[in-house]
Amino acid sequence: MNNNYYLKRNIKNNSFYYMIFLPAFVVIVFLTVYPIFNVFHMSFFKYNYLSDTKKFFGFTNFIRIITDRLFQKSFINTIIFSAAATFAEVGIGLFLALLFYGFFKGKRLFMITIIFPMMISTMVICSIWKTLYHYDIGLFNYILKSIGLHPVGWLINPKMALFSVIIVDIWQWTPFAFIILQAGLNTIPGEIFEAASIDGANYYKTIKLITLPILFNQILLVILLRTIDTFRIFGKVYALTQGGPGNATETVTYYVYREGFTYFNLGRASTASIYILIVISLISVLYIRNIMREEK
Amino acid sequence: MKKHFWVFFIVMLLVLLPFTVWSKGQQEKGAVKLTIAGRDGGYGKAMQLAVDEYSALHPDVSFEVLKLPGASLYEKVVIDMKNSVGTYDLIMIDDPVATQFQKAGWLANLDDLFKKSGKSLDSDIISTAVKLGRYPYADNGALYALPHVGNVELFAYRKDIFNKLGLSKPAKWDDVLADAKMIKQSEPDVYGVVFRGVKGNPIVAGFLPIYWAFGAKVLKNGKPALDSPQALNALNFFLKLKEYAPKGVAMYNSAQVKDALYGGKAGIVTEVWPSWVPKLNDPNESLVVNKVEVTTHPGEVEKSSPMIGVWLLGIPKASKHHGTAFDFLLYITGKEMQVKMADEFGIAPTRDSVYKVSKLISKYPWYPVQAAALKNAVGRPRTTKWSELENIFGTYLQLALIGSMNAQDALKEANAKMTEVLE
Repeated sequence: MNNNYYLKRNIKNNSFYYMIFLPAFVVIVFLTVYPIFNVFHMSFFKYNYLSDTKKFFGFTNFIRIITDRLFQKSFINTIIFSAAATFAEVGIGLFLALLFYGFFKGKRLFMITIIFPMMISTMVICSIWKTLYHYDIGLFNYILKSIGLHPVGWLINPKMALFSVIIVDIWQWTPFAFIILQAGLNTIPGEIFEAASIDGANYYKTIKLITLPILFNQILLVILLRTIDTFRIFGKVYALTQGGPGNATETVTYYVYREGFTYFNLGRASTASIYILIVISLISVLYIRNIMREEK
Repeated sequence: MKKHFWVFFIVMLLVLLPFTVWSKGQQEKGAVKLTIAGRDGGYGKAMQLAVDEYSALHPDVSFEVLKLPGASLYEKVVIDMKNSVGTYDLIMIDDPVATQFQKAGWLANLDDLFKKSGKSLDSDIISTAVKLGRYPYADNGALYALPHVGNVELFAYRKDIFNKLGLSKPAKWDDVLADAKMIKQSEPDVYGVVFRGVKGNPIVAGFLPIYWAFGAKVLKNGKPALDSPQALNALNFFLKLKEYAPKGVAMYNSAQVKDALYGGKAGIVTEVWPSWVPKLNDPNESLVVNKVEVTTHPGEVEKSSPMIGVWLLGIPKASKHHGTAFDFLLYITGKEMQVKMADEFGIAPTRDSVYKVSKLISKYPWYPVQAAALKNAVGRPRTTKWSELENIFGTYLQLALIGSMNAQDALKEANAKMTEVLE
């Protein structure tokens, strides 16, 4: 009774703020919550958007998708892509941030240059790299041939193609890791490094015992953001290989795209999306828990 | 509290008011605006030409032309027509997907619009191309779309190299193999043969004329027929042909094939589309002026089987401007506009008379051959599941091409996957 009274009073006192918040809340519900529920709902149906056939399918889509060899291959490729690209981007970004810590002449020009790949559209980047990777007329194979080495099937060799797509992602997104970590480094007070130096710590000890522990949260954040982003890899696969050669560069988002927007099998596309959602949620929870524990 | 509410209410009203005034103004203009969902590249430029000329003749009609890549065009029009939104008044349709749109009842019946306008379908438009716009797919099927680009797959070879090596125009695919081998041996800077190897539509489009010529079928009585001996012979032949193609042929798409052709790097090109070759004899663009013979495909156990790949134009049922859209449709598919589009952008005509215009024949000497190919061309299977079937076929063809699977296993697995889709 008492609680009810306070609740009502609280609502009455804050009604204006609730009213202002309401449109945003409605938009969020319609654009985020509703689509997620709808995707869950559709995943239980055999639903073709073109023919408009919709039949309750229970968990059949879930079983069929998880046992589909193409989905399995796509999933493994996505994991490899995500792990390799994230590891390399954060590693190289951290290395560059440490290398270019402090002020030096030309730093501003360097910063502008290094963020350049991030600013170009993925499709443009892919067009450039596709030309560079071309087996017969590409720059890379031209260099290899000119020094007497065998040309590489960057995008035509099934064992090489995924690696080639990863390289493009590293080239584009390492600057992102670099900028976040560079910003994190700049927040560390210089006195700490001075004190460490006075205490006799060398450069490597300073990095291991001071810089990295302080930067830990930023590193985790970059890993989280890059993992989520690389897990959703689509544009580069679409523009560079279209999942080929064979199925060597198929990824889960490309699988969903094809099921959803080429075949319009919305039931299957929804089910595959749910698998992606589950994995991304698990990864996010893992990182966020870690970050929050650190904050406590 | 009440004061807060009224202030908030008035502010919101002031923000929204200009939008309603603008919207009302838009409605009151009275002019018709046609929105066209079309293709990018040369097709887009040709559409723009037609739109500009039509607008000059009809100042009360304005246009918005969306120039989209094939996949994006398909997505947009499907979503729009499925929901009967009516955003588009005219859409470009790749002929294999027309069946889906027609079966779903998303397109306006053009027979009705012809009747309403008192006009009739011109017999000058080549009937094989018109048939692709009919549903059911028969000469007397109802008309839902008109052919806009009369694409048909052709075959090209370097006549200077053939003359030098004493070769004649290949009559059979086996001759192509022998010729490609000879070119590779005698011309170190020229690939024996070039074709598209990218998985999905490109490799399938390049392979089908071979596949059909070997007597194989994609569907037989509505069921996949890739497990036939004819299909195996065709794929084994294709893999033999690959030995004389560039090493990277698995990633060759139209741009790479065109580069090889225009740059004088290709001895034989097994797949040439009219829109790829308009500047073949332009010295500013091509290194092989008057050196390339564009002709029809050879046969094998069956006669030459060029693939038809027409772009159709249809009017969505949900469009609010059927009359104006139909008038523009007749204009863009008319002879005068077809001659202009062919002359300026190399757009393949769909009218017989356009192939006989002397100005165009002198520019595109292969026009008589192209017209003959269009009249005898073979269409892809008419099924609502073609996108899925083509993707499966294209994936396994490429797996065989790059050596990840042997021909027999690739066809067997593709056949099983296709059966699953059609069940």
